[in-house]
Amino acid sequence: MNDISKKSAEGGFSTVGAVAALLVLAALYAFPSFVESPYALHMMILLFLSTIMGESWNIIGGYTGQYSVGHAAYFGAGAYGTLILLQKWEIAPWKGVWAGIAAALVLSLVIGSICFRLRGPYFVLASIAVAEIVRLTVLNTPSVTNGAEGILLSDLPPFKIGETVITDFVSKVPFYYIGLTLALLTILATWGVQNSKLGYFFQAIREDQDAAHSLGINLSLYKNIALALSAMMTSLAGAFYAIYIKFIDPTTVLPLDLSVQIVLIAIIGGIGTIFGPVIGSLVLVPLSEALRSNLIAQGLINSGLVKEDSGLGVFLKEHLAHAHVLIYGILVVVVILFMPDGVIGFVRKMSARKR
Amino acid sequence: MTLSVFLQSLISGILIGGVYALIGIGLTIIFGVMRVINFAHGDIMMVGMYLTFYLFTLFHVDPFVSIVITIPLMFLFGAFLQKVFINRIIGTLPQNQILLTIGLGLIISNSAMLAFTSDYKILTTSYSSGSFKLGEISISQPLTASFIITVVITAILYWFLMKTDTGQAIRATAQDREAAQLMGINVSRMSMLAFGIGAAMAGTAGALISPTYYIFPQVGSAFTLKAFVITVLGGMGSIVGATLGGIIIGIVESVGAVAISSDWKDVLVFAIFLLVLLVKPSGLLGRSRM
Repeated sequence: MNDISKKSAEGGFSTVGAVAALLVLAALYAFPSFVESPYALHMMILLFLSTIMGESWNIIGGYTGQYSVGHAAYFGAGAYGTLILLQKWEIAPWKGVWAGIAAALVLSLVIGSICFRLRGPYFVLASIAVAEIVRLTVLNTPSVTNGAEGILLSDLPPFKIGETVITDFVSKVPFYYIGLTLALLTILATWGVQNSKLGYFFQAIREDQDAAHSLGINLSLYKNIALALSAMMTSLAGAFYAIYIKFIDPTTVLPLDLSVQIVLIAIIGGIGTIFGPVIGSLVLVPLSEALRSNLIAQGLINSGLVKEDSGLGVFLKEHLAHAHVLIYGILVVVVILFMPDGVIGFVRKMSARKR
Repeated sequence: MTLSVFLQSLISGILIGGVYALIGIGLTIIFGVMRVINFAHGDIMMVGMYLTFYLFTLFHVDPFVSIVITIPLMFLFGAFLQKVFINRIIGTLPQNQILLTIGLGLIISNSAMLAFTSDYKILTTSYSSGSFKLGEISISQPLTASFIITVVITAILYWFLMKTDTGQAIRATAQDREAAQLMGINVSRMSMLAFGIGAAMAGTAGALISPTYYIFPQVGSAFTLKAFVITVLGGMGSIVGATLGGIIIGIVESVGAVAISSDWKDVLVFAIFLLVLLVKPSGLLGRSRM
């Protein structure tokens, strides 16, 4: 009973679902024609970026059950690969990104061959250690990576096909469309994985490694495929981040915090579901942006709960913005304790109870 | 590298290794009793550092004396964390346990940032940069003091776990939770005790290094990683192993910084960590749990 309702919600397309999806898609593509506010576009771009990261992690963590807490390494590989080629040899990012993806692929195969001999918590620890080694290496080889100073992108070349300039990247609109397209592609890729034989192998490994092994599934081969896919998609997010923000350094694209945030996007929404990371992004991005831009402190003051000139008001205004990661911590604790299957699992459980 | 430089770095490695051992012991006790890897360990240590800092600046309590206050307070803090959060997820997926402790760590470090700002604080005592001379070798006074305290605390803890009834009950819970429960041991109380002791150890380590380290809200994550390396190296769940692991990592860092460069010493530590995970995942003194 439960299985059937799950199937129709995830696998097959109902007419209503298809129409709704098309409407959302059309609205998303039309969005920049109606909204000109750069801040709104920026928020949407962050949402797309977060979705790409969450969906990518979902393939190895959600579908294959291997909790990598080192995905910052792949994000950084994409970001550094693209920007180094662009700054040093003026290779356009849409070509350079392939180098970033290749770097992430090589890295994932090295990491996979080391870490997949380990299981459970040991795999988590190993993935962290490898990502830290990557971060420290980037930090300590300034001749290639500019070390702690980071790379500032001064000039992004216009995107041309032949001689026609498609876009010169002056406004945020081209980034919006790149982000949207990449996010849709990763969602599509996740859907493809979920409904393919490959995806069944992944899920069999997640459910019971030994049982999967005894049925003839080559554990290390399929874990490596899952990690490679996930790593390449994550590096795409890193490359997109790099050309959008135009500045990268080891503390923004390679820290442990980033690895943790990538995991949380999927966990909060619901791991192993197609739209979990989308939901996770919809929860996390607005909340952490609201904290970062002091909206919450201002809101508390405006609502009259806290007086602006009182000690608490001054304190909140000065410090709450720095603590936007706090929200990640609180959310993950709440999610793990009260809804371990994420928002999607929680909603499903509630609706099942009503029935 | 001359012999005296080598000896110098070897000795300071052993001294700082003592404090590392304390952090590792806390982690390993928690893991042993609950099978939970505590990712908030470094952040708990950071709380100990701030506690020491404010006891010193506000009430002029010497950092090494203040551990008498730090230990019980941190014990209560740990017991509270266990009772309210960790206790609910014992026996669930290890990944969820890891994520919960990661979340707790983020909450602790970011709350500290709200409370104390992200400024670096320095606790300067009259002896912070003092040292003994031993021929050509100079030995830091605060590190020596902290090493001696570490040895005493470790010895007391060892005695407690080996000789007292409660200690034996904790070890029994670590060995086999179900069997211990069947023997009438209150395992959830033992878990609370274990987490309290673990937090107290981490807090003490924080107190002991506060005269020689910068104090800031994010200091924890580096120590959390170090604590993992130490406990995996020694063998998850083994106290003697964690002590040994702490000293080894202290020496590797200190000698590695001189022999290679201080930029690459952490890479060296992580490389050793991976090597141990691959070659002997049960650690130097642990039984295989994989």
